[in-house]
Amino acid sequence: MNIDKINKKLQKQFGSAVKAELSDNIITVKGKLSKWSDVVAACQTAATKYSEIHVVNDIICEEVQNKPMRVPKLKDNALDGRKVDVLIIGGGISGVSIARELSKWKLSILLVEKEADLALQASGRNDGEVHPGVDLSKGSKKHYYIRKGNEMYGQICKELDVPFERVGQYVCFDKAWMKGIIYLYALWRKKHDGISDTEIISGEELKRREPNLREDFKFAISNPSTGCVCPYGLTIAYAENAAMNGAEIFLNTAVTDMQVEGGEIKSVETNRGTVYPAIVINAAGVFSEDIAAMAQDRFFSIHPRRGTNSILDKKAGAFMHSVASTVSLNFGKSHTKGGGTIHTVHHNLLLGPDAVETYEKENTETRKESIKTVFDKQKKTMPSVSERDIITYFTGVRAPTFEEDFIIEKGRKTKNIIHCAGIQSPGLTTAPAVALDIEKMAVEELKKIRAVEKNPDYSPIRKGVPVLNEMSDEERNELIKQNPDYGVIVCRCEEISKGEILDALRSPICVPTVDGIKKRIRPGMGRCQGGFCSPLVTQIIAEFLGVPLSEVKKSSETSVITYGKTK
Amino acid sequence: MKSYDVVVIGGGPAGLAAAISAKQNGASVLLVEREARLGGILKQCIHDGFGLVRFKEKLSGPEYAERFTELFEEEKIDSLTLTFVTRIEKEKDGFRVVLVNRNGVEAVFTKALVLATGCRERTAKQVMIHGTRPSGVFTAGTAQHFTNLLGVMPAKKCVILGSGDIGLIMARRLTLEGAEVLGVYEAKSTPSGLTRNIHQCLNDYNIPLHLSHTVTRVFGEDRLTAVEISRVDERMTPIEGTETIIECDALILSVGLIPENELAEALSVKLDPRTKGPAVNGQLMTSIDGIFSCGNALHVNDLVDYVSESGEIAGKNAALYCKAQRKEIDISISDKLLYAVPQKLDLNKDNSKTTLYFRSRDVLNGCTFTIKKDGEPVFSKKYAFLRPPEMENLLIDFSSMSLNENSKIELDIEVKNNA
Repeated sequence: MNIDKINKKLQKQFGSAVKAELSDNIITVKGKLSKWSDVVAACQTAATKYSEIHVVNDIICEEVQNKPMRVPKLKDNALDGRKVDVLIIGGGISGVSIARELSKWKLSILLVEKEADLALQASGRNDGEVHPGVDLSKGSKKHYYIRKGNEMYGQICKELDVPFERVGQYVCFDKAWMKGIIYLYALWRKKHDGISDTEIISGEELKRREPNLREDFKFAISNPSTGCVCPYGLTIAYAENAAMNGAEIFLNTAVTDMQVEGGEIKSVETNRGTVYPAIVINAAGVFSEDIAAMAQDRFFSIHPRRGTNSILDKKAGAFMHSVASTVSLNFGKSHTKGGGTIHTVHHNLLLGPDAVETYEKENTETRKESIKTVFDKQKKTMPSVSERDIITYFTGVRAPTFEEDFIIEKGRKTKNIIHCAGIQSPGLTTAPAVALDIEKMAVEELKKIRAVEKNPDYSPIRKGVPVLNEMSDEERNELIKQNPDYGVIVCRCEEISKGEILDALRSPICVPTVDGIKKRIRPGMGRCQGGFCSPLVTQIIAEFLGVPLSEVKKSSETSVITYGKTK
Repeated sequence: MKSYDVVVIGGGPAGLAAAISAKQNGASVLLVEREARLGGILKQCIHDGFGLVRFKEKLSGPEYAERFTELFEEEKIDSLTLTFVTRIEKEKDGFRVVLVNRNGVEAVFTKALVLATGCRERTAKQVMIHGTRPSGVFTAGTAQHFTNLLGVMPAKKCVILGSGDIGLIMARRLTLEGAEVLGVYEAKSTPSGLTRNIHQCLNDYNIPLHLSHTVTRVFGEDRLTAVEISRVDERMTPIEGTETIIECDALILSVGLIPENELAEALSVKLDPRTKGPAVNGQLMTSIDGIFSCGNALHVNDLVDYVSESGEIAGKNAALYCKAQRKEIDISISDKLLYAVPQKLDLNKDNSKTTLYFRSRDVLNGCTFTIKKDGEPVFSKKYAFLRPPEMENLLIDFSSMSLNENSKIELDIEVKNNA
């Protein structure tokens, strides 16, 4: 990396407003710019894709109003003075999968999550695609982990009782003349990525498999190993398994500061007291740079990128049964896999996401432009999709570095931290494999200070709440005989019973909120969006907890639903 | 497997009326209701105004329901409450209805089915409201459930989007409970609810109604803190630059009702895209032999009296149902009408007392509704005005029109001086 070359380029684009410096294998970009898009452009200019020399953004941006991280209202001493072997920061897919793998060992593990539930940020706000890994460059961490992760999915989802399906992916082309080039490209890809089942299928074959895609597709790349999973369902399942094996999960718990001495984290401040960890694992998503800074180990920067997905009615789910997209001739330019049309594991259709740079790490507001962008694009794959079939939409914020690669390594300056940062697509796919590596790193570090033994009680098996509407009549009947509450349907759209709701309330990580129950077993996820069932779910939670209705919240402590008795 | 002549699905006003009328016409009847009590949504409608057409009395929702539940009990009709229909399978000469309740999974056989499954409310996302996802955004029916059935307040200071009847009723209800209702916003240029509700629920309480305005965005990370209101053009598209922010802690949505026909669709019943309910003939039988539809599942009604009436028609015809060749012709409508029910006539049936329901597409003053046979008027009725929120119903003798398979029936509205 030639710093002079970078500075020449920056000079050309931004004059003397910004400047890059190289020291300690970090490129720091400094200066002042008025627009965030320029800040991103400047840092991208300074960055080399997949490089391990990272860009740190120190540009002052006039447009940016840096809101402090949202910290839960809760303040207590529940964790004050706690000594733990491992403190994991972040209850997304990365943090919980690491917690679960580490729970194989006899360790005290504490995972803290600032939100009221797990998977409330990027891990719960993505499209759930388990990528085949056919579009990444060798040498990148993404490439290193993707096939390993993809191949682990069947086993992991079986162990954790999470629905997963290898639905297959079709990348569709409408120009017959491209077939030769794409055939060669696919051949090269197979070799490059170590995939055996990628193939080119004809337009007729595509039509036979997915009759509702655009008529004039001439051929498609088929990747049968592509899968679909419920991303928050998997996150919760991982966390529950970790908890069953002894890990402690603390929700509504935010890391606010750290004391670092002699290149070592001594203690970590939270809104629930000071924790003394031997090792810290940084899985803080969009805040992973902030956590690295607290640990005096900031050697990368995150530039948040939001994306919006739309969920369509199950009736539209019947239109197609895989993952499909159309290739624009814009190879490598855009920072999203391009999004797609996806048949979800719950049989809805999901469209999206788009990709928009933003400095707002926690702004998950939806915007109508995003919906339009996504639909305009996906109609090119499947013309029959209609905005009228939308039942909901949501925005998530990705956490990429400027090198667009993952950071999975021990601290560079601070020794007792391990970073699992810069995680963006295909981070859901890679998570199971990454977790195994971080487990190794952490155990290796801990072994330097003490003996680490296997956890004799570890079980990789987690049983989810039974899903009655997917059972045969006989099985369902049998369960209802054992527990009549399974026969009381509360959510008509998704056919969820009172018994299932009570099971979710009794699960290893109880989140007794309307959204907590919704994420676990789906009441309110259907076409009426909780119109009929939300009062009933609220009531069941209140009865279970023995509290007045007004105490039951949507999600966070302050997301009040009702205010107490009428006159 | 138990066997019935008629199984009615849904124990609201349509289902109750259908079950009673089927029983009174000699059928063995089972009514299936997913809630613990019969009465449907009437249970939470504690305001009055129900039954003016039918009983010439102002009843509350529960009182109106009680008139039917009492009769239902007198008739000793079988019913299963807290029971959910998971699927229906077509069989030779009937249907196998699979039910789930506290006793387990059970199936019953029936010769005829009456679908009285009601409707659901359109949601915030279906009207493209953007922004955050705070608590405090309710559909009017959900807010009504919290207020009237659970006795808890869902709002302190709220904005209501949509001037549908439930929205208007909730504006008054929440005001009476001490909440501040800042205004009702309606994207259309005319109100969606009944005129009487505009007077009794808004005007009487000084609640402003803002036509041609909609909510475009919501704010608040936890509970709702504000909404963004925009003016809309004649195509109901928000006009940029007209946004204003209103601080409030609740947004109540009354933006339309959608007939619930998931069971019907699973049985391949053909739906009318205009009503979003099944296309039916004068006997309220759908495209599938032996399946009847009524109430708000058939089309969204503004008065419960008509819901009961259609239930009675469907129930009676389900009881009298026996498989026969149909000879159906379409009842088509001109662009002056929003929709009409029934959409078909079976010429093999007695159509001398056919109840015809229709709505005009726009507000029309001084107009004439006509039925044309092969382009020639065969029936007409003058109206001082027709408004889309107010459904009209007529008793028509189609049998006397000497119709045959080639006859073309069209409904039209002629406007003389639309001011």
